Amino acid sequence: MQPEGSLPERARMKNMSQPFFPILVGLIASVVPALGHHGTGVSYDASHPVTLKGVVTEFHYANPHPQLFFDVTDEKGVVVHWGGEFYPNPAQLIQDGWGKKRSEAALPFGMHITITVAPSRAGEPVGAILRLLNDKNEVVLGVAGGPGAPPPPAEPAPH
Amino acid sequence: MKIKLTVWSMLLGGMALFASIAFTQGGGAPPGGGPGGRGGGGRGGILAADPKNANRAYDKHDISGIWSRNGSPGGYGGGGTCRDCGDRGFGNDVPSLTPLGQKMFDANKPSYGRNLGSPDAAAHPEEALGRRRAVPPANGTDPYQTCNPMGPSRALIYPDPMEMNVLPDKIFQQFEWGNAVRTIWTDGRKVPEDPDQPRWWGYSAGKWDGDTFVVDTTGVDERTWVDHFGYPHSAQMHLEERYRRTAYDVLELNMTITDPTIYTGVWKSQPKKFRKLSKDAIKTVDGWAGLLEDVCAPADDVELFNKRIRDPAGGVVH
Repeated sequence: MQPEGSLPERARMKNMSQPFFPILVGLIASVVPALGHHGTGVSYDASHPVTLKGVVTEFHYANPHPQLFFDVTDEKGVVVHWGGEFYPNPAQLIQDGWGKKRSEAALPFGMHITITVAPSRAGEPVGAILRLLNDKNEVVLGVAGGPGAPPPPAEPAPH
Repeated sequence: MKIKLTVWSMLLGGMALFASIAFTQGGGAPPGGGPGGRGGGGRGGILAADPKNANRAYDKHDISGIWSRNGSPGGYGGGGTCRDCGDRGFGNDVPSLTPLGQKMFDANKPSYGRNLGSPDAAAHPEEALGRRRAVPPANGTDPYQTCNPMGPSRALIYPDPMEMNVLPDKIFQQFEWGNAVRTIWTDGRKVPEDPDQPRWWGYSAGKWDGDTFVVDTTGVDERTWVDHFGYPHSAQMHLEERYRRTAYDVLELNMTITDPTIYTGVWKSQPKKFRKLSKDAIKTVDGWAGLLEDVCAPADDVELFNKRIRDPAGGVVH
């Protein structure tokens, strides 16, 4: 599944143009390692966030944390199938107005996204989603900032 | 200018947030107490969680309703607990383990706490070892990762809402996460000392001791963990819970584990506090109020999440 080379390095992109983006991601990165997160927090390296452009292939609004699967094509045309988990779980998303129908409608198959993840320490194309923008540069599922968005959730839900 | 202010407010907010999280996750109550720490315990009186409830009348013997150790408005939405509600561990003053206890402790590989072998773990020798040995769940042994019941002590530590449904002869204690229900009998029975069959939630009986509701539990299946950090117990464990409603919106819990098979001494928990939530505090997007159906279902948690996200994240690809 994983092509040769370091995924984080291969997939790394230039930071977004928003002036506060590096600070925002830095804050998130500093917070993530302390978190429980169904115990998966230990699996990710939040100190080296990776920003990718991809296309949605699957989205599952389910416990313990919703999952997003998306394809990332590199400059050589190699497609890597990525998976990402959202820190908020459905119980939390509901409180923020992101119910199942709205969330699924926001992430249809084929949606072009810009996504920042804390990548797997094991080097697999899996990450914890720190920031997610749709093809209109809008924050999706309220995840972690973006222009005009509220601050990121205080902590991910504990599952 | 506006952008700069925004940046700095976010930066400062983030720093405060980090400090808060590090506190709640990193080892619990400060040494020596404080309102939520050991020695505080509420015996001198605890302020209401919400100042507007400070003078609100309440019945100290009414512990019914929805309670949460999470400080966010909906009782969750943040993974950590209220700042003074105690952390996810049972307690940092862990008694010495017996040889069998040590063997079981070593076999348990949790995924919470500080990462095993990390500089962060090394920098906190004041914390019990269980809090400094987290491994990716793909390489761990946490029974809850595959939706097995948490058992009473761990469920009570979990920072999601629980509801006390009080009936004349029993209390159904319902935990939102896992959609689990435990029965605490209040009909005068005593718990069995050596039940024929241990159960995931054990056998529980409760009674009032003054203004403290005391619950005794025995016969808890030893496959459950005491807390998120992989501390073991045997089926001979005796768990005591002592609940006190110390303000309109505050319920305090202190627990004690007596399990000489595993621990050479009695283990007292850090004080845990719950905030009272109104039924309407938790709603679906359709406005349906009450505890959510927050189930750990193998079809979702194991077949989907674990196999496609959790395990690859830890280097295990199916």
